[in-house]
Amino acid sequence: MSEQQMTSVPQPQTVPVPRDAVIVGGNRIPFGKAGGAYASASNQAMLTAALDGLVARFGLAGQQVGEVAAGAVLKHSRDFNLTRESVLGSALAPTTPAYDLQQACGTGLETVIQVANKIRLGQLDSGIAGGVDSASDAPIAVGEGLRKALIKANAARTPMQRVKALAGIRPGDLAPETPRNAEPRTGLSMGEHQARTALQWGVPREAQDELAVASHHHLARAWDSGFFDDLATGFLRLSRDEGLRPDTSVERLAQLQPVFGRGEGATMTAGNSTPLSDGAAVVLLSTREWAAERHLPVLARFVDAEVAAVDYVSGDEGLLMAPAYAVPRLLARRGLTLQDFDCYEIHEAFASTVLATLKAWESEEFCRDRLGLDAPLGRIDRDRLNVNGSSLAAGHPFAATGGRIVATLAKLLSEKGPGSRGLVSICAAGGQGVVAILEGC
Amino acid sequence: MTDDDNPDRRVGGNAPTGADGTDRGVGADAPTGPDGHDLDVRLLDSAPNLSGLFARAAATGARRPGSEVRLPTHRLMLADVGQDVRRLADYSEVTGGVLSDRLPATWLHVLTFPLQVSLMAGREFPFPMLGMVHVANAMTQRRPVLVGETLTLSSWADNLLPHRRGRTVDLLGEARVGGEVVWEGRSTYLVRGQGGDEAPARGEEHVIPEVELATWRLPGNLGRRYAKVSGDVNPIHLSALSAKAFGFPRAIAHGMWTHARVLAALQPRLPGAFRVDVQFAKPVMLPSTVVLRGTSTGLTGVPEALAVTSRDGGRTHLTAQVRDV
Repeated sequence: MSEQQMTSVPQPQTVPVPRDAVIVGGNRIPFGKAGGAYASASNQAMLTAALDGLVARFGLAGQQVGEVAAGAVLKHSRDFNLTRESVLGSALAPTTPAYDLQQACGTGLETVIQVANKIRLGQLDSGIAGGVDSASDAPIAVGEGLRKALIKANAARTPMQRVKALAGIRPGDLAPETPRNAEPRTGLSMGEHQARTALQWGVPREAQDELAVASHHHLARAWDSGFFDDLATGFLRLSRDEGLRPDTSVERLAQLQPVFGRGEGATMTAGNSTPLSDGAAVVLLSTREWAAERHLPVLARFVDAEVAAVDYVSGDEGLLMAPAYAVPRLLARRGLTLQDFDCYEIHEAFASTVLATLKAWESEEFCRDRLGLDAPLGRIDRDRLNVNGSSLAAGHPFAATGGRIVATLAKLLSEKGPGSRGLVSICAAGGQGVVAILEGC
Repeated sequence: MTDDDNPDRRVGGNAPTGADGTDRGVGADAPTGPDGHDLDVRLLDSAPNLSGLFARAAATGARRPGSEVRLPTHRLMLADVGQDVRRLADYSEVTGGVLSDRLPATWLHVLTFPLQVSLMAGREFPFPMLGMVHVANAMTQRRPVLVGETLTLSSWADNLLPHRRGRTVDLLGEARVGGEVVWEGRSTYLVRGQGGDEAPARGEEHVIPEVELATWRLPGNLGRRYAKVSGDVNPIHLSALSAKAFGFPRAIAHGMWTHARVLAALQPRLPGAFRVDVQFAKPVMLPSTVVLRGTSTGLTGVPEALAVTSRDGGRTHLTAQVRDV
């Protein structure tokens, strides 16, 4: 297991790339709570709004960019070409190519990697990456029995065949199938999976609540200070993240009952888990030259990325622990240590996910047995973690989170100055983890 | 609030007259009534209930205007109008648009429509409302109107003119944000009757553009769906049975649905400020398949002339002209 997970040679071995991909900026709509401000908004409406805000910010109306890559985790079948349809409804030139990509909660970051790599290889000069999700407008499918009967009836050649096909429908077939936040292979929800990991790593309730409170306070301060003024555009009368609770406290969160896990060891509550959310986020990437020609800023350089997957099905590893493997592989390839970063953006799927991941990197046993390292990666300076809040406070419209984090981190690094370094780590359903490194410009 | 409170109106200078100067601008004649005097403003407390008004309008069927026809001399106004996003989303879906922060121009018509109907069903209106035929619509959006803006809406009647098949009357509408007029609309209705001798010659025939832009399959329940989101529960749109009572073989699509569908198809190309003129020709029977035709444009332009026709092009349902203002 360990040898498979870790490349056994922890020596830098990067392939030189022809040119840099840089992050010019980003735009998102404030994230809404499920059933809240965006209850009536479709994925297409939200993605189009996020794109149009970006287009307005960078003067791209009527212009063609290299491509737009985006996706949604919960997607209606009619939205098979969601991103292209959104582009056609946006102010971008209709000749802008687009495609959908999906890697669960890693979608947004994976689109950034995709677009950045095409730029680095010389296939594109510019591109937009991002994602959108709606928990409010989730697709509801008809049950399997009804679906098969309808297909049969549709294919029927005679009225009798049609009647026969439809007569096969049983009352139980009429129950709709709503998408569940559960792993198909284990039947467990993400929260139930994470509750096991939290228990395994002994992540205390108090530490989870503290992380959640910090997320809310940091995000509130960032909104108050105007940090998001050039990263977000209001939509449907929402001007800040709807789930943000600036005045929450550890005492208040301590009163909540656990919702995942059972008995004594249950520590995960609605307060230290991300709520179901609606929203969209996009990021503009380009070459340095493309940005310079248009007098656009360059916030950060895309350095490198890595994706890992774990075997959570057999119970060998926790569902959301893949970033714990992806990051050391990326560090090894770049010849960096975990301490070589000015900012860490670790997606807060649950507070305990962040804390378990940090514990794993500090654990001699984990780093030796699982990663094959001589020494643990060690601690990070917690003052550099999610300094402007993360998903616990902002909300987590699955595919939109990557775009939110990349734009936030790029701006943070640009403020810190050239050479500053940032790490993004996002866990995803299916036992996957998508991580990346950015460098301030 | 009355017209006198609005300095913009008085300053003038940007009244929307046509390029040739002869056109009846959408709102050029807005501030005055048929006799050239300022209209009384009647401020409403809440949006009129359309179902109730339609029921009342049925009772106006017995109206037989004499030779001395006078239009109401007041303007109905509704202030502090905000948006019901859920309803707007439903409207966008039914009319083929995508919900956004910018209100569709035709949605502003929907918002002023209860005021129109209230005028037409009112005691002072001289014609039977349910027999009137919506023959043309013009609207000018002066700038994008945003979902978060609070609107003052008003409606009044004007321009009673002879027509070869009777007379026409305009129901005018206006949306303001503060004192700023952001949208103006004009719905022209035909009141069938004896054509006046002095009826002007039929206006220029609008060319039907060749290029087929889109094919729309209109379901049988479209009239009911649009009625639900617009409040226009005129029975000719709801079912074959209710349509038959008014002489139509089947339910017909709302003209303003077709209008809205055309504008939705032009998104995102419509400029922030534009004027659109629409002429309603033959009704669209439901269900049916129709074709949107337009003059060809560049990558980002808007077709200047559009038409909605039957699939074979034999029947014209709507012609439209769009231009910047």
